Amino acid sequence: MRKSTLFFMSLAVQSVLLIGAFTHAAYQHGRDAFILGETAALVKRLELTDLCLFTEARYTRHPTQADLHSPFQDHPLSFEHFPSGSLLALPKGIGGR
Amino acid sequence: MGNWFERQRNIIDFTLSSLVRRKGKNLALLLVYALLVFLLASVMFFTHALRREASFVLQGAPEIVVQRMSAGRHELIPARYLGMIKGIRGVSGVRGRLWGYYFDPFSGANYTLMVPEAFSHGSGDVIIGQGIARTRLVGPGDVLSFQRYDGTPAILTVREVLPSASELVSSDLIVLSENDFRRFFGMAPGLYTDIVLTVRNAKEVATVAGKVQKLLPDTRPILKSEILRTYDTIFDWRSGIIVVILSSAVLAFIIFAWDKASGLSAEERKEIGILKAIGWETSDVLLMKFWEGAAVSLTAFLAGVLLAYVHVFFTPVMLFEPVLKGWSTLYPSFKLVPFINPYQVATLFFLTVVPYTVATIVPSWRAATIDPDSVMRS
Amino acid sequence: MIELRDIRKVFNEGKPHALTAVDGVSLVLDARAVTVLQGPSGSGKTTLLSLVGCMARPTEGRILLGDREITSLPERFLTDVRRRTFGFIFQQFNLVKGISALENVMLPAYPLGEHHASLKKRARALLDLFGILPRESSKAEWLSGGEAQRTAICRALINDPQIIIADEPTAHLDTKLSREFMDIVGRFKAEQKTVIIASHDPLVYGSPVVDRVITMRDGKIEAAGR
Repeated sequence: MRKSTLFFMSLAVQSVLLIGAFTHAAYQHGRDAFILGETAALVKRLELTDLCLFTEARYTRHPTQADLHSPFQDHPLSFEHFPSGSLLALPKGIGGR
Repeated sequence: MGNWFERQRNIIDFTLSSLVRRKGKNLALLLVYALLVFLLASVMFFTHALRREASFVLQGAPEIVVQRMSAGRHELIPARYLGMIKGIRGVSGVRGRLWGYYFDPFSGANYTLMVPEAFSHGSGDVIIGQGIARTRLVGPGDVLSFQRYDGTPAILTVREVLPSASELVSSDLIVLSENDFRRFFGMAPGLYTDIVLTVRNAKEVATVAGKVQKLLPDTRPILKSEILRTYDTIFDWRSGIIVVILSSAVLAFIIFAWDKASGLSAEERKEIGILKAIGWETSDVLLMKFWEGAAVSLTAFLAGVLLAYVHVFFTPVMLFEPVLKGWSTLYPSFKLVPFINPYQVATLFFLTVVPYTVATIVPSWRAATIDPDSVMRS
Repeated sequence: MIELRDIRKVFNEGKPHALTAVDGVSLVLDARAVTVLQGPSGSGKTTLLSLVGCMARPTEGRILLGDREITSLPERFLTDVRRRTFGFIFQQFNLVKGISALENVMLPAYPLGEHHASLKKRARALLDLFGILPRESSKAEWLSGGEAQRTAICRALINDPQIIIADEPTAHLDTKLSREFMDIVGRFKAEQKTVIIASHDPLVYGSPVVDRVITMRDGKIEAAGR
């Protein structure tokens, strides 16, 4: 078999898989919209304000509810103690934004 | 001028034959390249899906939360504030929220205790999140014992476990009745953690918040739009880990490009000379180099993207697990709803395939324009 | 017929190390004949060969291929003329390493966009003609001197050129292989092809198939033969 044929075939297979990924995402999204809706309903019912991503500290568990300065206890721009702190942007109005 | 497609295919044949000659080197290159795309694509897919999910789920968050501030800290808010806020025009409902944290020395984890507007069970009962059920190995009917503020034990019976599908928002929750909550923390009846408002007209949210602050200068209103914005910037490219991954990726790319730019060996030059001598045009040589770059980068790109998709949406995202866990003892186990769009994939494409292909062609440009007779002169 | 009029070729013109490789050569080379350019190394025969073969342009003078003036053609057209008219056999063979003998033979035809199957068939027919078909899938660097030479000849013939140009073709061959090469040249002649060879090997310019020997020295023609 020609090398170019193999090349095109591998590209074709990968492209089909990529299209498959898109299709899967679209399909799964339609299916999971129900679950997401339930979660959203729970959020509404319990009046939740935050994602439960990082539970190690108040300001990482509820970044939106924390005091403006709580992630920066020592200095507004000091380094974080917790790794997850590095995943959150500065609160609005701090650090010249 | 022959068949255009056949010409491309013939040149691809030769390009691939050339690549196969340095099998080890090119395979290593392909692997590193695919890994790079994989990293970038994983970050992109993960953060986009998470942000999207957050913005969808948090649509249900309270429109305005009012906190009381005292000496720069979040303080408990007195019940009389409720009545004062209720009098503001445009406010359709107010409610004092009760919530707080409990550090469980037994598991070493922080829990969030929360009182709902309507609690469906009685005193001494709780509803818990999946994360707590997992760390404490309890289920409905089991008993959890905690310590109250005054050192007395609180024996709570688990009535329900919140659905695992909602773990992204509920993993560490303990939902309990108001009485239990107040007894737990020793909180006087006239105090709340904060106040949530509902506003009659969504367009008036900012106005209402302004009025609240004017009426009660020691409070801080938090709008839903601010909550949503916070999660829109989570995993922002400026945030630590993303910068680290991006910069290492960029560095790797510079090394690639450098190797390519300076790495046109004497042998490769000679080969280009031979091709020119046997009748290849400059454009034919550049076409060959184009396909060389394109073959490597397209293959690596597609493989990297596909692996990233599987990694982010089918497996427990290994790359981000240590980051998400951080120092926490209790962490949610959640599966993101797959979300990719052509825009993301196109961004990745232009970040990887295009520069690599250009880096392959450009250094060959000079070699490709040498006179065909150079082979005879050497 | 190839006509050269007052050809001069200067390398690095205008610089201190300028070198006049060909200095005022006028020549008419007959079609369907075997012509040998003979002379010591540095006499300008290889340069003249590359000028005739459209690989380089003369600094001054004109070259006519039949009745077509080729010196003033832009590069694209020149390349097109070159690959359809000339077949080249180089001193070092210049096979591309790491790919098979068959692919080496097919290489000059790749950019022409010929259908792969028919191109492969022609290439194999050529390899068969020169008795090296069994070695078609061997990589270029594994071929013996004679096999490499034959592969290079097949490659020169793949686009079915009217004119075959060979630069010191026997320099790396022993006597037996050199004689074989001249037999092949005889075959070209019998097929009505024009052959131009640059060589200082007596086995070449003394061969009975050669029609004309032109002797060069210091970029000029010393004896035009006949």
